[in-house]
Amino acid sequence: MIHDIFVMALDAMRSYKIRTFLTLIGVIIGVASVIMVTTAGDSVSTFIADQWNIFNPTGMVIGTGTGGATPQLSIKSAVFTTNDVEKIQQLSSVKTVAPIGLIVLSKILKRDGFLNWESRPGDTMYASTPSLLEILNLQLAEGTMFEEGKNEVVISQNVAETFGKDKPLHVGDTIYLRRVDQVTLAAKIVGILKPTTSLSLFNTLSTPGIICPTKPYYSSYVGSNVGTPLKRVIAYQILLAEATDTSHVKDAQNQILNYLGKGGSDASQYKDQNSDFVVITQQYILDRVDQVMNVIRTYITAIALISLMIGGIGIANIMFATVTERTREIGTMMAIGAKRRDILQLFLYQATIIGLLGGLIGCILGASGSWFVVDLLNNSIQKLGGAFSTGTIQVAYTPEWFIIASIVGIIIGIAAGLLPARKAAKMDPVVALRYE
Amino acid sequence: MSEYVIEIDGLTKIYKSGKTEFKALSNISIKIRKGDFVAIMGPSGSGKSTLMNIIGCLDRPTSGTVIIDKENISIVSDNELAVIRGRKIGFIFQKFNLMPTMTALKNVVLPMVFLGGSKADRDQRASELLAKVGLTNWATHRPAELSGGQQQRVAIARALCNNPEIILADEPTGNLDTKTGEQIMELLVALNKEGKTVLLVTHAIALKRFANRVINMLDGEVTEEVQ
Repeated sequence: MIHDIFVMALDAMRSYKIRTFLTLIGVIIGVASVIMVTTAGDSVSTFIADQWNIFNPTGMVIGTGTGGATPQLSIKSAVFTTNDVEKIQQLSSVKTVAPIGLIVLSKILKRDGFLNWESRPGDTMYASTPSLLEILNLQLAEGTMFEEGKNEVVISQNVAETFGKDKPLHVGDTIYLRRVDQVTLAAKIVGILKPTTSLSLFNTLSTPGIICPTKPYYSSYVGSNVGTPLKRVIAYQILLAEATDTSHVKDAQNQILNYLGKGGSDASQYKDQNSDFVVITQQYILDRVDQVMNVIRTYITAIALISLMIGGIGIANIMFATVTERTREIGTMMAIGAKRRDILQLFLYQATIIGLLGGLIGCILGASGSWFVVDLLNNSIQKLGGAFSTGTIQVAYTPEWFIIASIVGIIIGIAAGLLPARKAAKMDPVVALRYE
Repeated sequence: MSEYVIEIDGLTKIYKSGKTEFKALSNISIKIRKGDFVAIMGPSGSGKSTLMNIIGCLDRPTSGTVIIDKENISIVSDNELAVIRGRKIGFIFQKFNLMPTMTALKNVVLPMVFLGGSKADRDQRASELLAKVGLTNWATHRPAELSGGQQQRVAIARALCNNPEIILADEPTGNLDTKTGEQIMELLVALNKEGKTVLLVTHAIALKRFANRVINMLDGEVTEEVQ
């Protein structure tokens, strides 16, 4: 019986092919756009998270700036001393810590022949320790790490090609580094880093151009304002640290903040009164990215939901028109024994079938559409270059969408079809039979 | 003593529209025997359509009792009324009222669908009825592909499918030419001979001759009965 009425609904829809098709389009566009947006969004999120994971998920940046719920790093003042680095290294939840002393170079020079010098604009150089590589998840393509106190540096692939791709620098070459204070220092290249696709705390942080030992390259000092005689010590703007494992990230963060704030650290003496100590974890940044992605996704999904609603209104509209148009048929069906429930079912089925069909077709179109969108994104990433360019976004395809889209389609169909179907079922057969 | 299939006693039907009332039927009492061929005649506005709607269980009386094949239609629910319509009454309309999207066969099957039952049985019965009205070769055609007379014969087959006690024909020849109209009337006479009670609502005086009983109506009242 229910099956018979379902078949009748299908028959009626087959007789009004164009109308059914046009009504379907509304739902198809709605469902397809929701799925496209969400799938593309998930794909990008997954891509970013994957890129991020190349950098250590247990990693964190320690610096000064503005604390609070949305901490901001400022790299203006160098306050962390070697003593602080050693103390933080001893904290129970901290696995490794490495300082970063930012050195801005005005030029990189190379001797070409006997008297000929070639120069290139400088890059950013980090004075640090070999632990930096581990924390940033960087690897040497060739060579070794530098030794503290020696004129040795490790350079990135980019810097190796700074004098031209055809004239790459090699391990063993000597370059001359001119700092912004015009001091020029010789440096022997002992290692070249593997190219990395990682995206991290700061993009530049994760792909430093040149890494060097503190001595002899780095000379930012802070003066102690306590005790005499005046003591001048080397100080770093930023420290990078790594927790013992992912479950101890929070502990490490707290221990570090506690040490810096109350534990009698050197940094607390040198820090500007108005700034706070800030420890930004990798997880925090991932969460922030997720938040941004979610805002974008929510926004676009809202728009897509509106189009879905319009699709529903389209169904309701066409169902009202159909019910009115078929008034006499409804009257006839009642005269030959149709119960009100039969009429209600007949029209609800039609609306539901349109919803379900629209949901499924929309799902297929949405899934293929997201492949297309992701492809476009990949193309523009390639053109953009930079840290992303070696990665490819994979479509985060969710088969559950078919079930969700079907259910949503059915719900839309029922919601949109209910009023018109009730209108049909409540007709007075006498009046309906007289309808012209 | 013959059995009555329709017993109407003191039937009054009043239509209300806002504050104005319109008395469509006024204190009508009619008894119709099983196997009668009754022509209900009268000009438009005489109340014959209202009477037919009430006998056809499409409408309810304002007062009075109407008993159709032992069922008092004043006291049953909408659903029960629909079942009574399906089982006991076969409608034939002036404009045939076939479902335009369905084939002749599916149109005939439709009343059986609303009552349930197996598909094979229904299709079998519908084919037999189409054969009976001479449309075996037209079973898969839609109404638009059929002539008026053929459509009305499909409608008659549809009216018969649940083997109803009463055939209600409302101006069945109104949209047909005289010759085709005659054929349809002969079909109704044949059904009457098989024992169906036929109620013919018409204002065409020429159709009187097919009936064994004529009820004349005017202004909501029965003015004359001719046996």
